[in-house]
Amino acid sequence: MHIATGAARAMENRLFCSMFEERKRVFVDLLRWDVPVFAGRYEIDQFDNDRAVYIVIADAEGEHLASARLLPTTGDHILGTIFPELCEQVPPRGGAILEITRFCLARRLRARERLEVRNRLVSALVEYALGNHIDSYTGVAEWFWFQQILSFGWACRPLGLPASTSSRCLIALQIDINGSTREQLQASGIWRSVGLADLAKAA
Amino acid sequence: MIGLGQVQDFCAVAAIIKDSQALAGLMAEITRAMGFRYVSLVHHIDLKPAVSSVHIVDYPPEWVERFQARRLYASDPIHRASHRTNIGFAWSAVQSLITLSAADRSILAEAHDAGLGDGFTVPAHIPGEVNGSCSFAMGSGDVLDQRQLPLVQLIGSFAFEAARRLSRQTPAPCEGPCLTERQAECVALVARGKTDWEISQILGIGQETVIQHVKDARDRYGVTKRTLLAIRALFDGQISFADVFGR
Repeated sequence: MHIATGAARAMENRLFCSMFEERKRVFVDLLRWDVPVFAGRYEIDQFDNDRAVYIVIADAEGEHLASARLLPTTGDHILGTIFPELCEQVPPRGGAILEITRFCLARRLRARERLEVRNRLVSALVEYALGNHIDSYTGVAEWFWFQQILSFGWACRPLGLPASTSSRCLIALQIDINGSTREQLQASGIWRSVGLADLAKAA
Repeated sequence: MIGLGQVQDFCAVAAIIKDSQALAGLMAEITRAMGFRYVSLVHHIDLKPAVSSVHIVDYPPEWVERFQARRLYASDPIHRASHRTNIGFAWSAVQSLITLSAADRSILAEAHDAGLGDGFTVPAHIPGEVNGSCSFAMGSGDVLDQRQLPLVQLIGSFAFEAARRLSRQTPAPCEGPCLTERQAECVALVARGKTDWEISQILGIGQETVIQHVKDARDRYGVTKRTLLAIRALFDGQISFADVFGR
């Protein structure tokens, strides 16, 4: 997995640029989210700031396969800033809590590759948390994802009730990451070993 | 009536529950707490009975017997409707998801006669796996509390995952036969109705090679027909509907 911190820094790198392009193909073109598009090809919003962390899974040729954006919950983030009402209590915040956003699988992937790449990205997120003193992830998910998120086998719990609007149904959730998370993913057949490549350290 | 706190407690217990008997007990308890009388937590197709399928059913015995005797798994309108959505639905609203035939209406009427009232079904779709669902039902004549449904939806999802975890004997990334990359590509094109010659043109390989790939894929599934090959590969998640219809 490849890691970059800060949107500006990520945009200087070809792999991470192609992540922003893929995000446009997935979230704007396919899922029709109402989010800004920069220069006609990159999906970049107000949360893509210098604190955002990007995790990317690439293929052998260095092409983007999958990615996710992690936002510190101590600042503005999707659950705390846009959808706090999805939580029954106040949205969880703290230095050891990150929010997973823009979980993105390349559109060109076929069914089987998608599952394999998804497993690598989920494993990478767990590795990242374990290596960076992160105790839990929060997230806002569309309901069609929810059963799949549970099926990974990690400790996931709802922070509020699923809330429907005319076009979609959203749920806020929290996933605890600790010493047994790897085993939980192994038991569900999701776990893949992923090497770490930090952009900052490589540079 | 339950609240989010009880849902969270349920999740915590369900996540570490040890066997399906204990889960059945937990389900019975939460079903009553939510004001329902019956519960059914099942995979919709049983390819390998007793090994990997989820099955906890507490329905009126008379109805369970009829359901099994007439093998209604495939034609049950509630199961069929649950394949059309990810979000839970009340049985009384099933017509917003599928068109009911005369046979469907008679199945629903029979269920009602056997003591099943209105119910709420939470579909469980996981890519690459058989569809399932978790349903809760009232006794006939009881009224479904609409405010409760988002909570019921959460309970249904966590219950299904708990049952799925218990039924997973040996986790295997690919449960059925595995197709090679090229075979899967050919089968996706077969599913699009392409001939071997057309497939050879699209993939830029020889027609003989395509014929061999499709034959090998059929052999792996032990089927002789192209149609059945495409359906089995779709069912297993070796190819997806997106591969067939274009994404």
